[in-house]
Amino acid sequence: MTAVLTGSQIEELILGALNDVNEEQPEDERIEVGPNTPLFGPDAQIDSLALVSVIVDVETALNVDYDLPISLTDDRAMTREISPFDDVQTLKDYIVELVAEQA
Amino acid sequence: MSGRYEGKVAVVTGASRGIGHLLVEYLLGEGAQVAGISRGEVTDAPEGYTHYAVDVTDARAVQMAFARMARGHGRVDIVINNAAVLTSQYAMIMPAANAQAMVDINLLGTFYVTREAAKLMRKAGKGRIINIGSMAASLEPIGDSLYAATKAGVSTMAAVFSKEFSTFNVTCNTIGVTAIPTDMLAQHDRAVIDAIIERLPVPRYAEPDDIFNVVDFFASDRSSYITAQTVFLGGVTA
Repeated sequence: MTAVLTGSQIEELILGALNDVNEEQPEDERIEVGPNTPLFGPDAQIDSLALVSVIVDVETALNVDYDLPISLTDDRAMTREISPFDDVQTLKDYIVELVAEQA
Repeated sequence: MSGRYEGKVAVVTGASRGIGHLLVEYLLGEGAQVAGISRGEVTDAPEGYTHYAVDVTDARAVQMAFARMARGHGRVDIVINNAAVLTSQYAMIMPAANAQAMVDINLLGTFYVTREAAKLMRKAGKGRIINIGSMAASLEPIGDSLYAATKAGVSTMAAVFSKEFSTFNVTCNTIGVTAIPTDMLAQHDRAVIDAIIERLPVPRYAEPDDIFNVVDFFASDRSSYITAQTVFLGGVTA
């Protein structure tokens, strides 16, 4: 059975993954984590490997904890005009969209 | 049996036949919990074995199989990428479908399984990924152009995976297996294979224990500093 996830739960998942990645960084390289934290692009303060970790952690939680067969990095994500990976909000909005399709 | 894999969770692809089936029996005998992947269903699963009827070329199905494994077993310690197909045929008359299947199963299947395993292993902070390669990658026998290329590709993938996964203590290595009497081998001209075997530094067919020995080495907790390596059996060199 597919669980229903709210936007705020999804945001919590993303922020949790960001916090986990943050904790793996040296103290002086940690970033401020919040709903508007940039993830990708010129304003991003995390490196590409950290972004991969966030995406993988969120995707794994969706797959394992919520039984949602969602891939965050398929062609659709990569070809959108506004990248889902720009910041926490764009990622949340993208996942909300994908979760709604599974309902 | 030593119970070498007691408390470990191992995934084997191509689990229902040939080397994969031998590996499943070996790992179960050594105390592992084994998740086997193959396209077909398994009816009489032995204790400690969970079967996942999954086509390794289906990225989404592989993703969700690993999600089920994570829920069922909590983690994955060892993955053995064994699923492969071989059509040995002159390139000029190789059917396109057989060529495509070798690329899809041998290369893409290994890729899809490895990346899903790596996601779980990253969270655990450790893991062992072992690819079943082939002497064909080094010996380049006539008729095996694409098979040899896919098996060479598997070693190359392991080398790149090693770099990507080393930060979370996941190793990725390849066993270059020589011919071993299995159902895959039975489909081929034994005289041709005999001729290849006769020219090996150790001129005999591989035994299952030759493979298990290298699996044990790569899978060992002590092998955290061994990655991106291909070990050929029988004296075959890269």
